[in-house]
Amino acid sequence: MRAWKGPILASRLIIEEVEAGYGAVRVLHGVSMTIDNGETVVLLGTNGNGKSTLIKCIMGMVRPGAGTVVLETDGVGTDLVGKTPQQVVDLGIALVPEGRRLFPALTVEENLMLGAYRPAARRHLDANLAFCYDAFPVLAERHRQLAGSMSGGEQQMLAIARALMSEPEILIVDEPSVGLAPILVSRMIAKIKELKERRSLTVLMAEQNFNQAIKIADRGYIIVHGEIAFRGLEPEALRENELVKRYYLGA
Amino acid sequence: MFTFDLLANAIVAGVLLGGFYTAVSLGLTIAFGRLDVVNIAHPAFVILGSYTAYMVNAAFGVDPVLAGLAFTPAFFAIGVGIYRVYHASFERRGDESLRGLAFFFGLMFIVEVALILVYGVDYRLVDAPYIGATVSFGFVGVPMRMLVPFALALIMTIALQQYFVRTFMGRAIMAVSQDRLALQLMGADPTRVKQLAFGIALATASLAGAMLIVIGPVEPSMGRLYIGRVFAIVVLGGMGSVGGTLIAALLLGVIESLTATFYGPSWAPAVAFGFLLFALAVRPQGLFGR
Repeated sequence: MRAWKGPILASRLIIEEVEAGYGAVRVLHGVSMTIDNGETVVLLGTNGNGKSTLIKCIMGMVRPGAGTVVLETDGVGTDLVGKTPQQVVDLGIALVPEGRRLFPALTVEENLMLGAYRPAARRHLDANLAFCYDAFPVLAERHRQLAGSMSGGEQQMLAIARALMSEPEILIVDEPSVGLAPILVSRMIAKIKELKERRSLTVLMAEQNFNQAIKIADRGYIIVHGEIAFRGLEPEALRENELVKRYYLGA
Repeated sequence: MFTFDLLANAIVAGVLLGGFYTAVSLGLTIAFGRLDVVNIAHPAFVILGSYTAYMVNAAFGVDPVLAGLAFTPAFFAIGVGIYRVYHASFERRGDESLRGLAFFFGLMFIVEVALILVYGVDYRLVDAPYIGATVSFGFVGVPMRMLVPFALALIMTIALQQYFVRTFMGRAIMAVSQDRLALQLMGADPTRVKQLAFGIALATASLAGAMLIVIGPVEPSMGRLYIGRVFAIVVLGGMGSVGGTLIAALLLGVIESLTATFYGPSWAPAVAFGFLLFALAVRPQGLFGR
């Protein structure tokens, strides 16, 4: 299913010793993690531990005070620190932001078309639109509806589809489960796995919902108070971890 | 004294007037409706457009509408420059609401005074073969000086509408005031998008100004007459809807023309604004607001 893509690129994201914060408040204290090509990596942590800040550092929305964020494409590294969000997007990294951030007064289709704004994505607009409508039939049905008038679950689908329209190599999803009913959370997580496989994506997902996130994870990191408290090389190791038991499983 | 002739003529005159109002309002539909930039100086730039058309017409005998078209790149550049100053001085710091308004108010006076200094306060007019001509459809007489601007306004409306719907930049302009950060996440630079859109908004003033001076003589402070009307049309049309601007301008033109014909011209603005208040009471988002 890579027919619509150009040459196959191998992208890795390497984050090393990142420190960041807002003003005098330090949020991240030397965070390192790697997302390898084709992996689904989950970043686990409850609210206020720095998941979103780390994602903002990757996307150029927050400038790290120290450390490096490097995108490696076919062995060639690009430093993401100091880049603007639009430059990061142009390098093939798409973010589904927390809170979805759709354009509420635009239609579903207009939102999707804006997703294809970057030059590399425009060429594939029609194919990607067809792909999104195939993956999310409800978006096809409602393509003329205003995004702001849809339900939370539909808006989350639209946010993911809009990110895919930018033809990313790496998809970052920040808390897809927020505000969704439990049944929808489980469907959304399964959908992300399906999309990852169909589009050969590399996925980084930040989540608080451990039980759901672990279902699709190849590897996971647990972030506590701005530090990586545990790196799990396989899902089972995460489940057995003491921190996980304490924070998530109520044991 | 009511006759069917009078009614038909009043409606046609109102529609034609509405076409011109559309041309004057479109720039503000973009700036105010789409970009949240309260460019109160827009009508003053329309008058500047009238004077550039006048200048080229008087010096070289060039058709005023062609002159207006030829000056659109210059107005675009002025718009880009104004937006840069506005962005750097007000918008970036978050003081755009009141100080930004004062900035554009000041700009309005600068344009007006500059025109007075260069051309004086007398009315100026242009020369074109169609200006005195009238075409008649039965008992309805249509002056060409109104018909030409009307046709141009329709073309402008369609062109802008298509630009917003069909192009990537146009869609980005529609989105930029809704969520700047989300637009960045689409790979667009919101400041560049707004700068370009403001340039387009000001470029429309060149054309609208040429239309104004085709319709009748122009003097430097005439823009003030249009400030209220133009904002009313933009709000009534739904803040940013190009098609809504056309419909709202046509409605306002027809209402003004009917009132002027049957009750006297002094009532026209009162009735037109009464209609605006009534329409907003029924539909607060404007006729075509989303």
